[in-house]
Amino acid sequence: MKHYLKHALILSSLVPLLYAGMCVAAEKGSALKNDSLRSEPFVDAKVTGSFARGENLEIIKKQGAWLQVKSAKGSGWVRLLSVKRGAASAGNQAAGVLAVASGRAGTGQVVSTTGVRGLSEQELKAAKFNEEEVKTLESYTLSADKGRAFAKAGKLNSIAFKNLKEAKGGTE
Amino acid sequence: MNAKPRVTSIMSTHKRNLISTLLASLLGLVSLQSAAFDFKGALKDAVEKEIGQKTDSQTNPAEAASSTDSAKANSTTASQEAAFNWKNPSTTEEISLGREIAGNLLGAAPLVKDAALQKYVNSVGRWVASQSERPELPWRFGVIESEDLNAFAAPGGYIMLTKGLYRKLQNEAQLAGVLGHEIAHVVKKHQLKVLQKQQLLSMGAGLLSDKYAKDNALISKAIGSGAEISARSLDKSAEYEADRLGLSYATRAGYEPYGLAEVLQTLGQSSSNDASVALLFKTHPHPDERLTALSESVGSQLDKITGKTLENRFYLLK
Repeated sequence: MKHYLKHALILSSLVPLLYAGMCVAAEKGSALKNDSLRSEPFVDAKVTGSFARGENLEIIKKQGAWLQVKSAKGSGWVRLLSVKRGAASAGNQAAGVLAVASGRAGTGQVVSTTGVRGLSEQELKAAKFNEEEVKTLESYTLSADKGRAFAKAGKLNSIAFKNLKEAKGGTE
Repeated sequence: MNAKPRVTSIMSTHKRNLISTLLASLLGLVSLQSAAFDFKGALKDAVEKEIGQKTDSQTNPAEAASSTDSAKANSTTASQEAAFNWKNPSTTEEISLGREIAGNLLGAAPLVKDAALQKYVNSVGRWVASQSERPELPWRFGVIESEDLNAFAAPGGYIMLTKGLYRKLQNEAQLAGVLGHEIAHVVKKHQLKVLQKQQLLSMGAGLLSDKYAKDNALISKAIGSGAEISARSLDKSAEYEADRLGLSYATRAGYEPYGLAEVLQTLGQSSSNDASVALLFKTHPHPDERLTALSESVGSQLDKITGKTLENRFYLLK
C-alpha cells in the first residue's frame, strides 16, 4: 500500500512537470471574450468546449482566421478575434489591464508622439515636397469600374454588411 | 507645383464669421470667469464649434449624389483661387491639401519602383474604397520605400503604406484590411479635422492681433510640415473607429473579414523597442487594445460571413 502511494505521488508530481515542459514549445495567449471551442475551423462545427474572458490559453496552431487552442476545459478552434496572442495577461476584464500588462504606460486620451526613430516625425517634418513622385502616385489612380473588374477577376462579391459600431460600455 | 504659396493667402474669407463666433465664446467666458480668463480655451471652443457645425451640415448625401466617377475630381488639384476655406473646405480643397501632404511624405520616402506592385495595391484599394461612404473620391494608393511598419492617409484619398508593412502581409484580405483602415481615416476626415482645428486656431490668434494678422508665415508654417500630419497622433477613438470601418469595408468588398485583425496580431508581436514600429506604436493604441476593442464591436456579427483571402494572387515583393 505504501509503495503504491509513493509511486502515485511521484507520478502525480511528474505529470505537471512534463506538462510544463511541453508548454514551453506552445505559444501562449489569453481570451479576449467568452467563446466556444469547435472541433474544426468552421462556424458550424461541433462545440467541444469553452473558455472565459481573461483565461489563459495555449495556442497550438493557426489556420487562416482561426486558432487551435487549448483551454482549461478542452481544446478546439476559435476565431482569431477571440484570442490575444503572446504573453498572457493577468487575466482580468478591462482593456486597460491588457495595456498595462503589455508594458504600455500611456493612459491619456491622445497617444504620445516623442522620441521616434525610423521614418520619424523629424524626418517627415523636414521632408521636401516631391512633385514628380506625387504625379507618379496619381498616375496609378484607378476608376471605380477598374476596381470592379479587378474584384470580378478574383471572384470577389460585395456583400451587405453594416458598419461596425462602437461596443457599448466596453464589455458585453 | 508647390502649393505652399497658395495656402498662405487663406485668411481672408472666414475672418468675419470666425470673429463673431470667437467673440461670442469670449464674451461667454468672460462673464463666467472674469478673473482667470482663458484665451486659448476660448479660441479652441470657437474653433471646435466651427468644425462641429461643418461636420453636421456637410454629410455625405450631397457628395455621393454629385458624382459617379473619379474623373471629375481628378482634374482638380492644380488651379485654385487664392482662398482656402478652412471652416468648410470643399472636396477640391481637401484633395489639394492631401496632395501637398502626400507630396511631402513622398519627399521623405519615395514610391517603390515597381509598377506592377503599385497597380496591384491600387486595384485592391480602389475596390475597398468603393465600399466606403465616399466612393467618388479619386483614391490613390502607394507603397513607399521604408522598412518601417506603418501606413498613412492624407485628406482627399491619398494613402500610402510602407514596404516593411507590405512585406508582413500574407494575402489580399490582409492588404484590404490595412487599406480599409486608412480609407476610413479619409472618409471620416480625421486628419483634415486636426488640420482645420490647428489652422483656425492660428488664424484666430492672428485676428486678434495686428502683428500676427500680417504674419502669413504663421499659417503656412502649419502646412509646411505637412507630411508629419499624416503620422500625427489622432485621438485614440479615431483609430478604433478606423479599425471598425476598415474591417467593415473589407468585409463588404467580399474579403475574409479578419484580415485587419490578423495584421494587428502580427504587429502586436513586435517589440515596442523595435525601431520599425516606433512611430506606429507612438501614434496608435497598442495592437492588443485595438484587437480587444475590435473584438467587442464584432461580437457575433461575423460568425456567418466567409470571404476570400486570395493569397494566390497576392503580389509578392521582388
